[in-house]
Amino acid sequence: MDILLAQTTDAGLADLGKAIAFGVGVGLGAVGAGIGIGNIFGSMIQAVARQPELRGELTGIQWLGFALTEAVVFYALLGGLLAFVLV
Amino acid sequence: MSVLFAAAESDFDPQHEFILEEWIPLHLGPLDLSVNKAVAYIWLGGLLTILLGIWLMRFGLSLRPDRRQTTGEAIYEAVQEQIAESSIPSKALHIWFPYVASLFLFIWVLNIVGFVPLPISNDKFDAFGVELPTLGIYAATANLSVTLALALLTFGATHVEGIRYNGVVRYFKSWIPEGAPKPLLALIVPLEVISQFMRLISLSVRLFANMLAGHMLILVMLGLIFIFSAWWLVPFSVGFGLVIYLFEVGIVVTIQAFVFALLSGIYIGAAIEPEH
Repeated sequence: MDILLAQTTDAGLADLGKAIAFGVGVGLGAVGAGIGIGNIFGSMIQAVARQPELRGELTGIQWLGFALTEAVVFYALLGGLLAFVLV
Repeated sequence: MSVLFAAAESDFDPQHEFILEEWIPLHLGPLDLSVNKAVAYIWLGGLLTILLGIWLMRFGLSLRPDRRQTTGEAIYEAVQEQIAESSIPSKALHIWFPYVASLFLFIWVLNIVGFVPLPISNDKFDAFGVELPTLGIYAATANLSVTLALALLTFGATHVEGIRYNGVVRYFKSWIPEGAPKPLLALIVPLEVISQFMRLISLSVRLFANMLAGHMLILVMLGLIFIFSAWWLVPFSVGFGLVIYLFEVGIVVTIQAFVFALLSGIYIGAAIEPEH
């Protein structure tokens, strides 16, 4: 905490604001991806519970969906980093 | 982030690990072909991929497979069933199965090599009078240029194959959904063209950002010790770092290679048989 409070200059405060905005932004991005990933695995469990013989076919689709959803948080991360560096 | 790090007493910079210094400068006009850390990692990854393929598949095969052959066959079968046959139409399988399979193996090896501490690094330390590079983790796939080059291969292959199998007119017509009303075409055509380029971006950025974020997380976790210069943090940061490391090595490395190969297959397959 001392490190954060030591930033009392204007430039330091602007940097502090950027750091907080970056953290909050990526965190909100992670919320969406988290919900999506939860949905995918939840649906997978239900599907396999109903029709266990389909597990092999579903696994590939499940991981594809997982990766597509998970990538969303990295777009947020990348956008945040770009804004952080450019602004 | 840089606020925290700049204010820290020690000079800990996780982004320092991702700076590429020119080791052997090679400039061809405007092209920068210098050998740097990422190039070294790609060479190593390519060599290991070739050796892995030869070791698994190319000698001592028998009807009663030993463990090595079983592993090779399991990988082959998984790639064939999960990636190639589910995405590429059977008439083009003989051309594009080798492509997606080598894409999967190459990216997997590049990713996994990225999590092995190797003495390929910009920093040197002095050991008994000999300058040795420090151990570091870095993945070639944590570099946007590398993943973009791989995605461009798929992008090029998609359109070349689409035109080769369908002809120019039929291929580009297949981008437009059938029965779309004429006035809407002005809206649909630019959208479809943009979406083709978005594939390129999403394919490359997904792999790049995943690997970069994995390495960053591990480095930042361990870096917390140096930022706060507190010894009581050691068990927490090493513990969390280890958990992230195991997650990356156990799941992310394989999933990302799998998804890259599968999406490449899906894009190429959809271009060859647009009705699908």
